[in-house]
Amino acid sequence: MDTTVTARRPNELLASDVGTLTDALARLAVHPDQHTEAFFERLETVELLPRGASTRLRLRREQGLSVRRLEAGASRLASADAISGHTFASCCDRVTGTAGSIGPAPKIQVSRWLPVRMAEIERAERQLGKAVSRRRVGFPMEVTVRRHRRQVQVVHGRVSAPSQFEEYFSLRLKTPWGLWGGLLPSLAAEDLDPVAGCLVDRLRSRHLPEHPDTPRILVLGPCAAAVMLHEVVAHTLEADTLALTGAPDSVVGLKLGGVHLDVIDDPRLAPDGCGRFSDDEGMTVIARWLLRRGRVRQPLADLAWAGRCQRLIPGAARRANRHLLPGPRTMHLELLPTDLPEAELFQEAAGGLYIAEFESGTLDPFDGGCVLRAPCARRIGASGPADFVGPVEIRSRTVDLLAAVTAVGDRPLAAGAGWCAKDGSLLPVWARSPSVRLEGLV
Amino acid sequence: MKPLRLPTIQTLRTALTAATGRTGASSAELYVKAGCSLRIDAAPWRTGAASPPASEDWRLHVGRVEERGWALRAGGPGRALFLAESGALPAPGGWRRLNRHSLRAGSLRLPTPHRRRSSLPGLAGKDVPNDDSEAFGRQLIRDVLERTRAELPGSCLIRARIDDGASASILANSAGVTGRTRLRLVTVRLDFAVERDGIRGSCSLYRAAGDPSGFDAAAMATEIADRLTLATAATTPSLPAREIAVAPALASSLLALLGPLFRGRDGWNTLQRLTSGHSLGPPDLQIRDDGAVEAGWIRTPTDDEGVPTRAVALIRDGEPGEPLLTWEDDGWSGFSAAGCRRRSGWRSPPEVSHSHLYIQPGTDSADAIRSGIRHGCYLLDRAPGGRCRATLGVSDNRREAGFEIDATGFVVERDRILGAIPRTRLTGSIRELFRGIRAVGDDLRFLPVPGAVGAPTLLLTGLQLEPVAHD
Repeated sequence: MDTTVTARRPNELLASDVGTLTDALARLAVHPDQHTEAFFERLETVELLPRGASTRLRLRREQGLSVRRLEAGASRLASADAISGHTFASCCDRVTGTAGSIGPAPKIQVSRWLPVRMAEIERAERQLGKAVSRRRVGFPMEVTVRRHRRQVQVVHGRVSAPSQFEEYFSLRLKTPWGLWGGLLPSLAAEDLDPVAGCLVDRLRSRHLPEHPDTPRILVLGPCAAAVMLHEVVAHTLEADTLALTGAPDSVVGLKLGGVHLDVIDDPRLAPDGCGRFSDDEGMTVIARWLLRRGRVRQPLADLAWAGRCQRLIPGAARRANRHLLPGPRTMHLELLPTDLPEAELFQEAAGGLYIAEFESGTLDPFDGGCVLRAPCARRIGASGPADFVGPVEIRSRTVDLLAAVTAVGDRPLAAGAGWCAKDGSLLPVWARSPSVRLEGLV
Repeated sequence: MKPLRLPTIQTLRTALTAATGRTGASSAELYVKAGCSLRIDAAPWRTGAASPPASEDWRLHVGRVEERGWALRAGGPGRALFLAESGALPAPGGWRRLNRHSLRAGSLRLPTPHRRRSSLPGLAGKDVPNDDSEAFGRQLIRDVLERTRAELPGSCLIRARIDDGASASILANSAGVTGRTRLRLVTVRLDFAVERDGIRGSCSLYRAAGDPSGFDAAAMATEIADRLTLATAATTPSLPAREIAVAPALASSLLALLGPLFRGRDGWNTLQRLTSGHSLGPPDLQIRDDGAVEAGWIRTPTDDEGVPTRAVALIRDGEPGEPLLTWEDDGWSGFSAAGCRRRSGWRSPPEVSHSHLYIQPGTDSADAIRSGIRHGCYLLDRAPGGRCRATLGVSDNRREAGFEIDATGFVVERDRILGAIPRTRLTGSIRELFRGIRAVGDDLRFLPVPGAVGAPTLLLTGLQLEPVAHD
């Protein structure tokens, strides 16, 4: 498969000896059960706005660090917008509340920035236009393309995790009948083509009235299924969400869905250029069975939660940036396929709805209420998806939605990538899912 | 935390000369911002689903953040660039990475010095969060928790977050415009839950103030207890919509929905279509936007392009007054511009935005409005997780501009509460919303919804209330 992801991976973010930093951090821990870490981050966003915008090119580059001390689940963090020995020492002082906490400031050098490549970004609008034209339609659209690069390195009091690098793209498309936004692992034709499909679906359903109720049978395409699973499985099983209503580890073993629901969170399997081998606390990530045959196996946890609840395993910590504390978050969700042919999901489903994508989803962490909004859908006829209908809103509860999944298809696709905005922290999330069939939602 | 230090105007001018010299840009602007903030996140540890946590067993996170960055806008007719970076402003020799190829397609225009001065004479002396701020924040959370438990036994804190931040910025452009801002803003977000008679309910309260002492723990506890009581109440079967009083929290959300109507040429044209020869609202309706309003939290003498802020009468005596126009539209239809471009941080270019958008308080007391309802509803706030949207008819002229917002409140008769409304959908057209304003209260409050939007209690008629089932 063609890809536009940076072929050359960048060097380690920290070019100087991290041993001096681990030594310095080791001096901050007063008790053996205190955990200290330094988080180094570099972000670059290149944004190309639509033609006609006053400034089409926007380039943002930032780097900085934070130091955190964690003890018995309580954290103190200090952060700064520069990477240097002086800022590192200053953050250590602010965390401990004492001046000169690590002695003389260590020398810190960072690697060079990767060169700014513009060609792929400038090509994207034309390629997307071609993908739309191939469907024999045409309409005006304003295309905003962004390339995001993020490099992080975490240094513990004991050990330093290798630098992690992510590169991905986001698109924002404005058409006369609405906005479309999403994430792509690359701007290759294979990744842009499904976007054109979504736009044409929205064109065909423009101005159609909102669908009044939830039908008896719903078939969710891979994109829609991924968004639903993100809300009702991943968010629900994040330790901090679980803690809002009870003890996070008390849900282990709880049956949430049928035996065909096998859901894994594995950041290593995210698309090329977006995968991670360690999390934002420097812990090694694992393939985490969120649901195994419909039962909760291992909620998402970070160091703080794993320290508090012995049954939880760390390795799922993410932070939107260095100024924010890490929290347990999903990164790449995967619903395992069954051997049921995709076509059988539509059997005896006439009158139901096929939803290809949800444009947004929200979860009420207190009562488990979930709202999923689709910009359009298709009524299922005798031979599969037929007429378009207008926007659809599904309001249900986590347990009801998962209990309603009666079948899972056999063809998983990378789908449903988007921004997760839990607690105001914007993070990219990826998924791979087959289509699913839901029955009996009220 | 250390005081916020910024470069001088002279340093910015030297850097501008270097940047324009390297890129060949005919005009350029540099914006530098520094900030420091204290964030307190508190939540109880939970050890069992049923048991409420012990009050001392808290999961406490404290963050001390120092942010600093700058943004360069450079260009001219045909070519432009926006470049933002973290850290200190480069020395004059640090601009070598820029060259004539750095500018791409686009066009940059920047404001020129304005003869009018801001109504805000100088920068208020704002301090930065310190060690006392942390103790104060923790005490505030504890106070609200104890008072809420006293008002509504069984209620428990789910999560509390306090952000206490100070920022300062400075800008200069090649045309000679300069500007400085200095702000202090504290926000508090509290999530509470309760279970009563087998019904679980929760609520969120989000409030802001110019300094930590601006919060009243007792008032916040009362607001939380009211909302929790409503969230766990049984639904009243009938929803009398003849007279609807809306509290400042909900009125502010409604006003925020209407924000685009008051901005720029498009907003003005839509507003004109709504009036179509009639009055828009009652004569005592005044809606203003004022970057320097006394009661506001983000009062600055200039906006983030260095253009002086001023009070703009968006609705004057119930009629469209003037739109909020940028300096580029100065003089359009005889209207003057106001400083109205804001940046959400050093990473962002300036965008048209309200500063303090508010409905001016009227002469009716809020109590009189509430007790004057013969048989109607008193809506307190938005229902958690509910709808809040407006179609202003800009892109789709076939539909009349309308709104819908999910709210929570009471059915009232005179001074008596007849029943609770855990969730209802208030709907109507924008035209009916303006025309249906029967009274404007005297209890103006600003709320972060987001931005600073303020409103007093309003009495509305001619709108619809639809039942919305619990999810």
